Amino acid sequence: MLRQASAKIFQTLVVLVIVSIASFSLLKLAPGDPVVLMLGSEYSQDSYDELQAQLGLDQPVALQYVRWLRDFVTGDWGNSYVAKTDIFAFVVTQALPVTLTLTACAIVLAILIGVPLGVVSAVRKDSAWDVGIAAFALTGTAFPSFFLGIVLIWFFAVKVGFFPVMGFVAPWEDFWSGMLHLVLPALTLSTFFIGMIVRVTRAAMVEVLEQPYITAAIARGEPHRRVIWVHGFRNILMPLVTVIGLQLGAILQGAVLTETVFSLPGLGQMLTGAVLGREYVLVQAGVMLTATLFILVNLAVDLSYPFLDPRLRAR
Amino acid sequence: MHDHKAILAQHVAVRLGRRSVLKGMGAGLFAATAGAALPATAQVAQSGHLRVGAITPIDTLDPHFTFRLGSVQIISNICNGLLKVVYDGTTVSFEPDLAATWELEDDRTHAFTLHPNVMFHDGTPCDAEAVRFNLMRVKSGTPASPHGWKLEKLEEVEIIDAVTFKLHFSEPYAFLPVALTGSIGRAGTIVSPTAVETFGEEFGRNPVGTGPFKFVSWEQNNSIELVANEDYFMEGLPKLERVSFMLIDEPSTALAALISGQIDAMNDCPMQLTQQVMAMPNLTMYGRVEGNYTYVGMNTQRAPFDDVNLRRAVAYAIDRNAVLQQAYFGLAKQAFSPISPPMSGFYDENIADSGRGQFYDLEKAKEFRALAANQEVIEVTYLMTENPPAGTRVAQIVAPLLAEIGIKVNLELLENAAWTQRLQDRDFEMVDFFWTADLDPDETLFPEFRTDGAWNYWGWSNAEFDSLCTQAQVVLDVAERSRLYNQAEDIMLAEAPIAMLAHFPLYKVFSNRVQGFNYVPCDLMNLDTVSFT
Repeated sequence: MLRQASAKIFQTLVVLVIVSIASFSLLKLAPGDPVVLMLGSEYSQDSYDELQAQLGLDQPVALQYVRWLRDFVTGDWGNSYVAKTDIFAFVVTQALPVTLTLTACAIVLAILIGVPLGVVSAVRKDSAWDVGIAAFALTGTAFPSFFLGIVLIWFFAVKVGFFPVMGFVAPWEDFWSGMLHLVLPALTLSTFFIGMIVRVTRAAMVEVLEQPYITAAIARGEPHRRVIWVHGFRNILMPLVTVIGLQLGAILQGAVLTETVFSLPGLGQMLTGAVLGREYVLVQAGVMLTATLFILVNLAVDLSYPFLDPRLRAR
Repeated sequence: MHDHKAILAQHVAVRLGRRSVLKGMGAGLFAATAGAALPATAQVAQSGHLRVGAITPIDTLDPHFTFRLGSVQIISNICNGLLKVVYDGTTVSFEPDLAATWELEDDRTHAFTLHPNVMFHDGTPCDAEAVRFNLMRVKSGTPASPHGWKLEKLEEVEIIDAVTFKLHFSEPYAFLPVALTGSIGRAGTIVSPTAVETFGEEFGRNPVGTGPFKFVSWEQNNSIELVANEDYFMEGLPKLERVSFMLIDEPSTALAALISGQIDAMNDCPMQLTQQVMAMPNLTMYGRVEGNYTYVGMNTQRAPFDDVNLRRAVAYAIDRNAVLQQAYFGLAKQAFSPISPPMSGFYDENIADSGRGQFYDLEKAKEFRALAANQEVIEVTYLMTENPPAGTRVAQIVAPLLAEIGIKVNLELLENAAWTQRLQDRDFEMVDFFWTADLDPDETLFPEFRTDGAWNYWGWSNAEFDSLCTQAQVVLDVAERSRLYNQAEDIMLAEAPIAMLAHFPLYKVFSNRVQGFNYVPCDLMNLDTVSFT
């Protein structure tokens, strides 16, 4: 098992290196000279050369890559030339916590709503419940988050006045206020995800419920609830965890729009601003960070399989 | 010739408005006689925390380096200029701000006296030395300020004493009143020299001025926080204790927050949301047609618009009424020429009846089209982007209108930065764009249409136009200057590197809980007089 795990980790490292090359090339391929962008409209050749040397952009590309990777790994991400602030400090201490909190809340919400609905749907297969839940799930998946966000704002924040319209309050500073601020964005972000979880849960559960061990459990006279939530649920964990891991990319993508609509100072808003402002250094850091997050979550999902399914431990 | 001093005094009186000269002098007298005996400011109790939704981009809070009006709005609450823009509901004038008095000694020498005992927020004095430091920073500092050209003609800052100084110019400088304001001109904004030296490159994130509010913090993508400057030199101001500029990208979110009471004001309101705002009884919207103009620009250095007759045809083929109604929802005013309504003394209220400028006349358009070298259907590419105030709406209205004169317009939608790059590289045939926050004909015409001017994306060049504008720069007499600009304008409009569209309003929205906002038609959001009811 240890060997298997280390192989996985090695694979992950290879993927990370490929991603880093890709995201570095992004900067090189993008139109516009970063030196010109940093100097603004008026500059002399001397100041151009000076800044180019200072940024190391006069060096061979391979060397630039190695340096960039070294700096990235050691947390020296450079300065934003718009905000004049340290990018690492800004991204890691300000933007990342916001996005992580938002995505975590969205995932928890999606699981809390999606899994029970999926199970009900599977248990009452082909009933009115099943059809209703399927319709709900499909609608949720099809709803674009920027539209849903605005609808939720107008209804819950403006008409009913129950939740704040926008902004982020850190839950670790003021828990209730933080949660109130997070309800609408998390709901917006999770709607797409809920549909996905409902469908996966239902499909997996339908399959599991047809297995002989379920029939055996029912025959033993075990309570219905126990049959489903213990014997059944344990066996759908693997597909469920896989889907959640794989969909993290979609969630991060959704976070860009959700953060814009709800004005949350997270990674998504930072990346949008950086792309529009052509702040390549920041874009690069953001891309690398989100890619790393995505890959690490997938690694965690891979490594969790043996814990979820004892059969995988034996080998 | 008459005594030039008398003529100048008269011109300045026209420019400033008689009232303000008297007031300025009065204040100076007061300062000179009684200033020392009285405390500099009386303490006033400030109260209330105003939260403003800032939906326009903000680049830096360093007044000498910003390109963004969203930044200027905030800077104007932190810093003062030597002069300020004043609006009485009908005319725009320029009055002393940090300066207590402003006098013309001769046509190239301006004498200023500062308010005494004014301190920057960091406790250092705002004296003549500080003013010199600031003006030189704009004129010839490193890195070079993008507003340096506004002080090109400044030869020397002569310091008489701590509060008195003289500016010597190489030529009479008609644009000076605008250049020296702390808002739109930006070149006359005075910041703390000590803070500039302490913060260096990061001064734009840590601005220190003399204004009604002190800068506290700027959290990226979140908010910019200000607190009241209790020692503000204007007695009784500011009235608010705290101001937060909440940085919100999405205007409809900001409006929802305003309606639900989470914020108290918006620094802008896109035209598509104005109806919603007006339907809300608890909101007040401020806005007039400001110093700006929108237009369709054509690349005169490339086929097919290197043909002057084709450009003229375009200028007359656009139905301005359709554009005003559909692109600007009937909120804007038709523009016949670039000189806009707030340019008091230069704008012609009756331009519509004068026959001057560009307007819709399909017959005329067809006549010019018949004179064009290419009589086939001409295909052109029109670059669109989501720019304020009307996004891609103008392009979508103009395209079918030009089909009437045998021009097939292909619309190409670009992301903003890519669009700007294409414009700067002159890699386009047609675009629509705007110039905004102009209060003087010089800034609204010269850099935009001068041969090789910084913003002359059209590549248009006309020696007579250049010469007329250069002459007008050194003429202080408003009527004479206005005549020169009208001539210059007529030349430009007849050759049509651009087709004029509209002068548009910019809006500020406040909750009715808030009172005392002084609207100035150059996109300012001065909060010194604002308070809660």
